[in-house]
Amino acid sequence: MTHAPANPAVLANLYLSAVLPCLADLTDQDPVARDMLGDLRASIVLRVCNGPAATVRFAGGKAVWEDGAVRAPSVILLFLSNGHLNAFFSGKKWAVPVLLWGGWHISILARFSKLAQRLEAVLDGHPEVLETSAGRRLHARLSLIAAGLGLHALAQGDDTARQALRSLPHGLASFAIEGDERAVWFDHGSADYAAGWGVPPRRPDVRIVFTDADIAYGAMRDEIDTLAAVGGGRIRVEGLIPLADGLNFVMERLRIYLKPPAQ
Amino acid sequence: MNSTDNRFRRSQELFARAAQVIPGGIYGHAGPAVALPGAFPYYADRAQGCRYWDVDGNEYIDYLCGYGPMVLGHQHPEVEAAAARQQRDALCLNHPGPIMVELAERLVSLVEFSAWAVFAKNGSDMTTWSLQVAREHTKRRKILKVAGAYHGIDPWCTPGHAGLLDEDRTHIHEFNWNDIESFEQLLKQFRGDIAGVIMTPFHHPAFHPSQMPSPGFWPHIEAACRREGIVLILDDIRAGFRLDLGGSHKFFGFEPDLICFCKAIANGHALSATLGRKELRVAASKVFLTGSYWNSPPAMAASMACLEIMQKDDTVSTLRSTGTMLMDGLVAAGKKYGYAMLASGPPAVPFLSFVDDPSLRRQQRFCAEVTRRGAIFHPHHNWFLSAAHTPQDIAATLGMADEAFAVIRSEGL
Repeated sequence: MTHAPANPAVLANLYLSAVLPCLADLTDQDPVARDMLGDLRASIVLRVCNGPAATVRFAGGKAVWEDGAVRAPSVILLFLSNGHLNAFFSGKKWAVPVLLWGGWHISILARFSKLAQRLEAVLDGHPEVLETSAGRRLHARLSLIAAGLGLHALAQGDDTARQALRSLPHGLASFAIEGDERAVWFDHGSADYAAGWGVPPRRPDVRIVFTDADIAYGAMRDEIDTLAAVGGGRIRVEGLIPLADGLNFVMERLRIYLKPPAQ
Repeated sequence: MNSTDNRFRRSQELFARAAQVIPGGIYGHAGPAVALPGAFPYYADRAQGCRYWDVDGNEYIDYLCGYGPMVLGHQHPEVEAAAARQQRDALCLNHPGPIMVELAERLVSLVEFSAWAVFAKNGSDMTTWSLQVAREHTKRRKILKVAGAYHGIDPWCTPGHAGLLDEDRTHIHEFNWNDIESFEQLLKQFRGDIAGVIMTPFHHPAFHPSQMPSPGFWPHIEAACRREGIVLILDDIRAGFRLDLGGSHKFFGFEPDLICFCKAIANGHALSATLGRKELRVAASKVFLTGSYWNSPPAMAASMACLEIMQKDDTVSTLRSTGTMLMDGLVAAGKKYGYAMLASGPPAVPFLSFVDDPSLRRQQRFCAEVTRRGAIFHPHHNWFLSAAHTPQDIAATLGMADEAFAVIRSEGL
């Protein structure tokens, strides 16, 4: 039952807490993004008026995401509403944020804009990204991160997801591509939820492992028969299967929210 | 399939071919994704008594019994002879055969509260039809069911997520097993609009230990249904004829208004049935019921033979005895290695789990090791005993389980 409409507040939270953090891995894995980043040293706050905020810090050739607004950032981008931020992230040209602070940092803004466009191209799977195996791998990896982190935003605000989660066993699930020691994880606790990208805080109750990037790519794009892939050993589900199955259903809600525009 | 040895080579080959032409490769409850990919066979070849052989020639003592139907064991000679005799006369006709009348009479005589019977092929056919009968009889809309209970694959109850509309379950509401308060809340909320309550005789959700009814639970449900004019539907598809030949409600001491049977009714031949009280007869006659093969006589002949043998041999007692031997032995074997085991469900339809194993990893490793040694133990679905399981089979199984416990203990699980 994935037909309930998207909630703008959840979508804004998804952009800030699931999509934006992908900049960290993008700059780590993608030579194109690293070139764009160069030696940028700055911090940018994205904030919704009376709503959520997130910060991205750039330094030493890396990007680091932080929840909330840091003090004294280089730039503050203010959005008047969740809808305003959502329109900005979905590429609407009119949805220019209010430059609340740091408008004189033209080069910072220009480089951030390029990085954001690169992130959008990778996550949406633009043809120029998907034409190479490295691009497909990157797309799969970042999609996996966004989906895993997105579980947290859905769990906090999406009614359909919350209802589904209520029927799931508690536990920590991790999703990874084999050979990568980092995983995106989601902790479905009895009182709260947590999600992250890296080494899970404890042994997962269920591990979902894609044996290679191609299978992850297919699974994230809903282009392969995942049940057959599990039976064939190309996706391994180890442990608390009902949690994995239920989270897979919840992740499908992301397609309602983050469906890429028709190309 | 990621088996580390060659035990499942043929299964692997078949699955690779299947994955090209069959969605999921193997779909539904037999799909590898809900069992142990790489540690379970995928394709079976033949079976006899309480044993079967997979396509790679591996032999197993069968504790799934075709997920329930094989109550007398595979290829039971009398049942197969009855079905073959009937098939020589007719397989699929334009009309029902006399055997349909005889079987309805037989079932009605076995199940005390019932006055009529209808037939179909699968459990879902009957549970869904029963809901319609309840709605027709009461002219109400709501159906109450237990959260996590399995009643089939139709949209109102499928455990799957795909292809559903929110509207499919607009009038389906869930309460918790053994939780009278949550049942009463729904009763209060929808008073006067509840057509039926559908429940299994005991709770046997996948991935969890089974739960027997608490004292007072069934009497409370039964009394509330009587008081409120709600049709009480017993989904006895999984346990039916294994606990009591007259229906599992007799085992638990209550009476439903409708009872759905399948699985053990015909020892593996495709047949399901619903039986009901005389008061529901008119509604039952109005709700359209048919299927391409639903009048086919051989399965009904198999059912007649199966029911007769179960009655003659007191199969219910046999299943209870061997099931108790198995479960007591498994709990003792676990204890020997320091594991607290939970034997849940009735002995004839048992399930075994580790008391402290929330991630199910220990359970999965244990079942994989027992299966590897030649007894199929599903880690996530209740098991079934058949009359073909002998004390020697149980003893052999316990030997395998002992070795499996030793292995997982050595692995530090």
